Amino acid sequence: MKVKIKLDCIMPVFETLISDKLTVVLDIGAAFTKFGFTGEFAPRAIFRTEVRCKRKNQMRRIWDFESVDDLYDLLVEFIYNIYFKFALLSPKDRPIVVVESLLCPTLFRETLAKVLFSHYEISMMFTLPSHLVSLSSLAIETAMVVDVGYKEAVIIPICHGIPLIEAWQALPIGGEAIHNNLRRLLDSNNTGIHNLPDSIIEDIKIRCCFVTEKSRAEQLASSKSDISVCPEVKYPVEGTQSILVSGKVREKAFEILYEEDNDHLCLSTSILDALLQTNMDLRYKLAENILLIGGTTMAPGFKARLKEELEKQLTFDRYKKLNIKTFAFHVPPCKENYAAWLGGAIYGATELLNMKAVTKEFYFKENRLPDWANLKDNIRNI
Amino acid sequence: MSYIITPDIVRYACTCGLLKPISNLYFCRYCTQLRCSFCVCHEVDTNFCGKCSENIPSSEARVKKNRCGNCYICPCCEQELSTRIASTKTLSDTEDTKTTPKKMYYLSCQFCRWSSRDVGIPDQSTVTGGWPERENVHANQLQELVDMYKAIVLAQKQQQEKDKKKQRGKYLSYTDRTGVTAAALRKRIGLPAELTHPLLRSKPKEPEPAVAKTEVEKLPIELFTEPINLMDITTVDQRLLQPEAQPTTVDKLFPVHKQLSIKRTLRCKSCEHNVSKPEYNPSSVKFKIQLFAYYHIPEVRIVTVEPLRAGQSCELILKFTNPSQHQTTITILELNLEQQEVEEAEVAPSFDNMENLSLQEKQQMSLPSMLSQPSSLMSMSTRSPTITVKPRKISENVNCDVDVPSSTFILPPRDDAAEYDDSGDTHNIQDDTKLVKWRKSNKAYVKLNVTPKEDLGLNSDVVCGFTMQHVYTNTITGQMDKKEPQKYDHKVKVFLHLGKLVGSE
Repeated sequence: MKVKIKLDCIMPVFETLISDKLTVVLDIGAAFTKFGFTGEFAPRAIFRTEVRCKRKNQMRRIWDFESVDDLYDLLVEFIYNIYFKFALLSPKDRPIVVVESLLCPTLFRETLAKVLFSHYEISMMFTLPSHLVSLSSLAIETAMVVDVGYKEAVIIPICHGIPLIEAWQALPIGGEAIHNNLRRLLDSNNTGIHNLPDSIIEDIKIRCCFVTEKSRAEQLASSKSDISVCPEVKYPVEGTQSILVSGKVREKAFEILYEEDNDHLCLSTSILDALLQTNMDLRYKLAENILLIGGTTMAPGFKARLKEELEKQLTFDRYKKLNIKTFAFHVPPCKENYAAWLGGAIYGATELLNMKAVTKEFYFKENRLPDWANLKDNIRNI
Repeated sequence: MSYIITPDIVRYACTCGLLKPISNLYFCRYCTQLRCSFCVCHEVDTNFCGKCSENIPSSEARVKKNRCGNCYICPCCEQELSTRIASTKTLSDTEDTKTTPKKMYYLSCQFCRWSSRDVGIPDQSTVTGGWPERENVHANQLQELVDMYKAIVLAQKQQQEKDKKKQRGKYLSYTDRTGVTAAALRKRIGLPAELTHPLLRSKPKEPEPAVAKTEVEKLPIELFTEPINLMDITTVDQRLLQPEAQPTTVDKLFPVHKQLSIKRTLRCKSCEHNVSKPEYNPSSVKFKIQLFAYYHIPEVRIVTVEPLRAGQSCELILKFTNPSQHQTTITILELNLEQQEVEEAEVAPSFDNMENLSLQEKQQMSLPSMLSQPSSLMSMSTRSPTITVKPRKISENVNCDVDVPSSTFILPPRDDAAEYDDSGDTHNIQDDTKLVKWRKSNKAYVKLNVTPKEDLGLNSDVVCGFTMQHVYTNTITGQMDKKEPQKYDHKVKVFLHLGKLVGSE
């Protein structure tokens, strides 16, 4: 009896909280997906963007899809897991906020929309550009947003709340490139152990490796180095064996980010290239407002090294005309890997959701999502 | 039983075009169609905690962020933590021997030996808790920001609406025509003369923009000299288990509330009836509604297959079991994927119409009763109509022909008591002895001749298929004047994986 009374007292409190509906915010990354609700300040869960393939009984990454139909099936399964494992909601007739890169392939976003609208029958889909919305937690309007994720690093300057798409830069250097580099380094050091799964490589990267200082990196790269390398780590594998992660490997794993390729491009040059593409009057402001997002930027020493590299590049003729003296970095009030998600959660909490989202009616009339690359949606500029 | 799990030897084609074993299919009695998990609508029925088996109302689950308030999982290995009683005795008062030792509790993981003492959480005096919760350090700052953004957007929206209103009312206002201005009118009524819009007066506060720093966090120097202990550094999964904090070292791992689980209700997308509804009690594995295909569609199992040789006819014995309470007649028809696909596409719209018609009729018929009492049909019609997705093409590579038998056979109804009946088979069923080899109670063993295609290579998987037509007896008494069960001819496409092709003798 006592319990019953107590429950009755509690119930009205809950009742008032029900009134505002929960809206799912999704940021489907190449490696990890961030999931949460609008108005909250951290994702409820961050998990790998993969589903179990029933036919082969192994995990499959969503982005490794073979065809449109394959992607459709993968996404159906993936969204199902999100809603019934984490959100614990029925997706039907509810809005959803999706944070995506401006360079997201049309095939992917259209298929995602199809899955959400026709398979899960959501009421509204609000797509937000990840670079732009990540600024919302800082309340700034102009910044150089550098997103270093798993597949690629994408740099898009934002000026007064408008992404300057003409200045975008992207390089295939991200978590995956680092994994490949680390795998190569480990293979050359350890005979006998090959074909380590990606999860172990990732774990070695996270727990052992760091972005070293520029001076040390140059020393390590040269044939005769007189610096003492950092201590080696014995990484246990499969219970009995172990891999020797030498000090050199620990420091060199991230070097792929700053090794210039055949076109003389690396992470630091592409940031400066993006700056070169922008209006002269904006360059100072952009250089003094750099925001780093994406999981790879969380590596120890990443920011310090990037600053060093940027300053070094300025001394070269290529970038002399920029006339930039200082670089300043923003510290978002969250972890970098969910900075874009947080932006989506903030945008989704406002009335914008009802004002700008693509409704079910619109989608089934047009059978497509509005896109910046589509002239039909950009008719005003012509 | 083992075949129910894997591999899928016998698969049925669902209405949506996917192939599933019968154990994974549902049968909607209202549309008399097969459904599978892909083509039904999933809904969350109840929330519960998998550890303490307690039902949690959805409102409470929402407040607790879909996590159980009392159960924790290990931040190291994600197993459930158990509460342990501390063995330490209170030695504060040695003189007073009568003091009852105070029980203290801590959390510990039975699998990886992690305990709440490892990270310095003090032992608690109550079993359920008061375990310290971690707060987001940026929460206040971000909350302020969100409130400001909300106000700004709201102001924008209201301004937009106001602008719209103004434009519309420009030439329609009577006061403008008569010369009596709004201000004069206000004065006459006795209101203050100037009333600015409240939003114009108090502009929403603009948030303070963040300032970038030229100083960046330095790489700790110790990394170059100090050896690292792998046991102290967390893995990716451990970090992401706590998305807010993402601790990098083990000493910052805090116990995590257990994620709740759900029970699902499955609803047929075309008729909105439930095909599966679980019981409320989380520890019960029973269902309130369970329209599994297993209870309605005859089950096919392979008994024996002769060695399969390319181009040669071989004998296949199948067992058909009737799970329903009604006698059924089974006809084996030829499987023609191409043709059926076209047929289905053509039939689909007209079929929909028919369904709609029958639904309307149903509603008309039940109208008098609906007037007297609110029927569930009324509430159903308020639900937004579902979108029908075109069935996809069946993707199965059939490489074996089946000789379609000319005769049909009868399956008697399932009788649970038959197992204890020693009197033998007393069915007076005239069977085609070429087709039916043997029968017992509700089962029949049927011989089919199959011929793998000529051009098949050695060791290739042989797949055959046929359409099984059976008489389905619908026992729903919903239809007003038809009290006796209705009979339908229901067709299902069945695909059999017969095994590998062997070489010629």
